[in-house]
Amino acid sequence: MRRMLRNIGFVLLLVPALAILFFGPRQQAGVPKGRVVVTYWEKWTGPEEQQMRIIVNDFNATVGRKKHIYVQFVSMADIDKKTLIATAAGVPPDIAGLWDNDIAQFASLGALTPLGKLAREHGITSKTYKKVYWRACHYHGRLYALVSTPADIALFYNKLIFKSDAAKLRAAGLNPDKAPQTIHQLDAYARVLTKFGPDGQLLRAGFLPTEPGWYYPEVFFWFGGHIWNAKTHKFTLTSPQNIAAYRWLASYSKWLGPNTINSFATAQGNFESAQNPFMLGTLAMEQQGPWMANYIYSYDKPFSTLHCSYAKALTLPLALRRKNYGWAVAPFPSAVPGLKDVSYCGFDAFVIPRGARHIKQAFTFIAYVESQPVMERLCSMMSKNSPLRKVSKRFIERNPNPYINVFEKLASSPNARGLPQIPIMPQVIDELNTEAQAVALLERTPRRALQKAQDRLQREYDSYERVQKLRRALK
Amino acid sequence: MIHWRNEIKQTAKGMAFLSPWLVGFVVFMALPIGLSLYLSFCNYPLLQPPVFVGLRNYHAMLHDSVFWESLRNTGYYALLTLPAGMIIAIAAALLLNSRVRGIAIYRAIIFLPSLVPLVASSMVWLWLFNSRLGLINTCLRYLGILHPPGWLTSPKWAMPSLAIMSFWGLGNTVVIYLAGLQDVPKELYEAAEIDGASPARQLWHVTLPGISPVIFFNLIMAIIGVVQNFTVPYVMTQGGPDRVTYLFTMYLYDNAFSFLHMGYASAMAWVELLMVLVLTAIAFWSSRHWVHYQGK
Repeated sequence: MRRMLRNIGFVLLLVPALAILFFGPRQQAGVPKGRVVVTYWEKWTGPEEQQMRIIVNDFNATVGRKKHIYVQFVSMADIDKKTLIATAAGVPPDIAGLWDNDIAQFASLGALTPLGKLAREHGITSKTYKKVYWRACHYHGRLYALVSTPADIALFYNKLIFKSDAAKLRAAGLNPDKAPQTIHQLDAYARVLTKFGPDGQLLRAGFLPTEPGWYYPEVFFWFGGHIWNAKTHKFTLTSPQNIAAYRWLASYSKWLGPNTINSFATAQGNFESAQNPFMLGTLAMEQQGPWMANYIYSYDKPFSTLHCSYAKALTLPLALRRKNYGWAVAPFPSAVPGLKDVSYCGFDAFVIPRGARHIKQAFTFIAYVESQPVMERLCSMMSKNSPLRKVSKRFIERNPNPYINVFEKLASSPNARGLPQIPIMPQVIDELNTEAQAVALLERTPRRALQKAQDRLQREYDSYERVQKLRRALK
Repeated sequence: MIHWRNEIKQTAKGMAFLSPWLVGFVVFMALPIGLSLYLSFCNYPLLQPPVFVGLRNYHAMLHDSVFWESLRNTGYYALLTLPAGMIIAIAAALLLNSRVRGIAIYRAIIFLPSLVPLVASSMVWLWLFNSRLGLINTCLRYLGILHPPGWLTSPKWAMPSLAIMSFWGLGNTVVIYLAGLQDVPKELYEAAEIDGASPARQLWHVTLPGISPVIFFNLIMAIIGVVQNFTVPYVMTQGGPDRVTYLFTMYLYDNAFSFLHMGYASAMAWVELLMVLVLTAIAFWSSRHWVHYQGK
């Protein structure tokens, strides 16, 4: 009896195990027969993931079918770390969607496949892209990445607040129908538009350099400063321009007090929510990228439909469309006279990690996305500008972001700036974020903070160089 | 001969049953531990082969200001949480050891927070500490404190905030103390009472010596926990503001997975182990003077 029970138990365990083994889910489930499977890891979740999925599905149904390629799209968090570990383990994805600031670090360690030859074969050259993006795809003169979607940074301002406080702005000698043209003007607008409660708390901020606080390492660009000298391989953080940039950061804390600013910041909701301070109207002006248009429409529809529906507005000429929005976009003002249309141009990057199994097929997909119609479709869905030099009229007129021409102009400007290609970029970003935070908290003077970052980062870089030399010698 | 064969057969069977654990230990513990020791003497950016650099990683720590900053922060966190945490946990256990109606419910209430995942409770505390809308500052304003602290956004208050939050999850420790308290022989209290000892004296001379082995155990666990603390500051402050809550393990993690200094991170891990060993050794050495085992 006991033996029989034991046998029944054994069979009960064995049968489902075999069933799972033979009929269970497969990694290649749903893959049409006879196709090469290209694995594509991407960082996006939410709407951007869905938008990229549409492009991937279109590829699989058209070019992929013809060329027997199937792109398997996997969305994940912490993509840089996962790509890194998978590459180190020798099982990388065929395509990884990294950030622009990952390229130098990954390329310097030999983790990326050079794409120059493949790009030329597909007719992708420097003439295909806007200069700033093309340059940032390279490391030591070699092409290691292509743009999946780009962005640049501008000033978003709330037209409704400008209108409601028009008299005050005029009294201060400022034009309520125009965005500020210089940093000095931006500060003046901010002072007029800032409102305090009876207890001294900030009810509305005209502008705050710490909101959203995503662009601390790039703040120098608007002051004519540079992080790095690529020729001498030296950091240039203590230049007068950079010190001026940090002084500007500190000036808001000196005016309002770090506690008041922090208390205001903690009371605001998440970026991706209806409690976003710009949408709530508790922040009149903000440094943001073109994607903001989509988020505003998702979380605060009335802000983008003042007179008519969104769909109807899309059929109107651009000038009329803009009247339907309570917000507008202008180039973020520069602190240097004559330095116009300055912007930080960042992007999401396609890379093929070292050891990828289907390099040619992966590049076929990348080249498909880089084609003008597909790129414009993808960038339109995300309300972003295009990285390509050629841009269709329709893209400008029908992009959900009615100010996409501002972003296009900024990305094409000679003052468009990308992050320098430094192999220790994660440390650079970490250090500059920390020091900017210290300056904004008035914990350190701008000069001391930048000197601290300069010393630490230069030491880090010199140490990196020494080890690379040692590695070369050992080879 | 037959006896030997049986012995070998029995051993093989035993090893076979043990093998899942043995293989797991060797592959996932012993090997990585050994490798990390080797890597601590290497430059290893994960994507290039390790290069032996001798003691350079350990030497670099001496000149790394962030290393010392993170160490200082960890020390400060330990200072804030260890003694206070133990006092609070013992006090809670003493209260929960009393015979009042519905004591089981109180015990469950104290224990419940330790069942909440750390990330979830961190999110709750983020809102509690919110300087403008948080419950804590709302209460403080109600009590007449017009300018309460900025908690997590203030360099002065960020670390104490994390310490306060750590007391929320003391339920496990309280339960261990409670078990210890229930193990103190009742005769000792009876004898103390006959001798005229006040409740405070009973606490000092009977209860605390009686649970001293439990205090010792919890102290060791707390030392290890404090040195390895990562999740809560990672979720709540990411080491900020101005790196005041940047703990040792956070810097270790960043070195390993953001800056790709896997060799340096390995060296840091060994320094961390050494720290835990030294602190535990000190605790063991001092235990001779204050830990009393029954029957000894």
